Amino acid sequence: MLEVVRLSYVYSPKTPFAKQALRGVDLKIEDGDFFGIIGGTGAGKSTLVSHFNALTRVQKKSGTVVVDGVDLSGKRLDLKKLRASVGMVFQYPEHQLFDDTVEKDVAFGPKNLGLTKDEQAARAKQAIELVGLDYAEFAQRSPFELSGGQKRRVAIAGVIAMHPKILVLDEPTAGLDPKGKREIMKLILNIKQLCPTVIMISHNMDEIAEYCNKIAVMKNGAVAGVYTPRELFGSRETIGSCGVALPLVTELAAKLCAAGLPVDPATLTEDDLIKQLTEAARA
Amino acid sequence: MPFLQFSNVDYSYPTGDKDFIQALYSVDLTVERGEFVALVGTNGSGKSTLARLANGLYVPDRGFVTVDGQSTGEKGNLYDIRKKIGVVFQNPDNQTVTTVVEDDVAFGPENLGLAPAEIRERVDWALECVGMSEYAKSNPARLSGGQKQRVAIAGVLALKPELMILDEATGMLDPEGRAEVMKVVTRLNRDEGMAVIMITHFMEEAAQADRIVILKNGRVTADGRELFSQPHAFTDAGLELPLTVRLGVKLKAAGLDLGLPLDADAFVAAAVKALGGDE
Repeated sequence: MLEVVRLSYVYSPKTPFAKQALRGVDLKIEDGDFFGIIGGTGAGKSTLVSHFNALTRVQKKSGTVVVDGVDLSGKRLDLKKLRASVGMVFQYPEHQLFDDTVEKDVAFGPKNLGLTKDEQAARAKQAIELVGLDYAEFAQRSPFELSGGQKRRVAIAGVIAMHPKILVLDEPTAGLDPKGKREIMKLILNIKQLCPTVIMISHNMDEIAEYCNKIAVMKNGAVAGVYTPRELFGSRETIGSCGVALPLVTELAAKLCAAGLPVDPATLTEDDLIKQLTEAARA
Repeated sequence: MPFLQFSNVDYSYPTGDKDFIQALYSVDLTVERGEFVALVGTNGSGKSTLARLANGLYVPDRGFVTVDGQSTGEKGNLYDIRKKIGVVFQNPDNQTVTTVVEDDVAFGPENLGLAPAEIRERVDWALECVGMSEYAKSNPARLSGGQKQRVAIAGVLALKPELMILDEATGMLDPEGRAEVMKVVTRLNRDEGMAVIMITHFMEEAAQADRIVILKNGRVTADGRELFSQPHAFTDAGLELPLTVRLGVKLKAAGLDLGLPLDADAFVAAAVKALGGDE
């Protein structure tokens, strides 16, 4: 379990550039959650998740983050252990590829965990296959000559190879075409079997509505609320107060409902909307 | 003469071992002054290569690219061409050069050798256009991704290009930021007559353009107005349709014909007409 307790964070404190990025954030993420974090650019989403593996350290008297019982504000923090258990996939993770073969790139994490050569190789193979790449075909290729979507898979494999218990993804589908987006989301569902807790930042409300069981809405450095998809996207008041865009299909359903058609304004999927409209046509 | 013309253009990238990957094949394309064109295609279809050929960052292996009649193949033309065509790329972090927002926006006009008063005017106007005036003295590095991208757009706007190419420039923005950029771009197109090529994965954005060009594996496979009336042109190229068009196709298959509405309002109107409602 990951718990955030009254967490605040100030960039460049005690300088003229001081900027408060987080203001007393409270959050509880349970094992097995597919936890979505949404909010406008500058809301503090990335600052928040960068605390989860202590990449950003908790500032003095600014609350804390507790990961599986370990208090991240503690002085003697075992960073190696923490970073093995909380895997972080940043925005555009393909920019972090560096080694000359896919296998070496993916095995870099396990190597730094001090695993044996055999274990490193086994983990790399498992991770490469888990992200949907053929091991025989890709292991010895240079990651730099792959397509954008393939590079992203390799970068994700590098994180998976650490066998994290919690996987944090910052905009995992940004910049991909619709097909690439769907493939990455499918792959994340696959990974979830190995790493049951997934935390995802996304601007794509359609993905959030489809995959997440809980959604935290961030606004101005604070959490405005934590909701289920239906609670969040089904209620005009909640949406309005959070300043969140609706999934396209929900927006359309709301407009149809407002025009007097028998459509549920909280419709979350296309198939559901089609069903309602064809039923209305038969009636 | 078309403002931008691609004529039978091939382009290949070297891949190290004397090998090449061909990115574009015999591309013919014209863009007129004042047009708003959406360029769509899957990852790797050649969209960004095309953008880089348009302002002479790349030069064709075969065929030619001309801007206002001047070929990008002549080094002497590039200064003029890059005044006329501005490109905004996907990642704003790679496009910022200074530590103060307004200096960054002024970088282009300064290099044009404009008078200080004119530079001031253009910078203020460009920041106003993208809604970033209040951040004029901020450090770009301290802005959010969406804000940085708007600064990058202002930097291109300040050059007053006749054609602006946005290469997935909204890809990193939140829905609100995306809508803002779209609003800015459509206004500049409508009011200032600036031509726009919008490279995007968001079909809802593409639907707002006058004309859509589809690239598939380095070839132009479709080019026209009202292209969404031919859904196959998109699905064949591995693309998705805008939600309302997609629903139109699926509903028709399910026996309810609402046509292929391009946006939510048209969809609602068609549904009300077919099913009855309050309006």
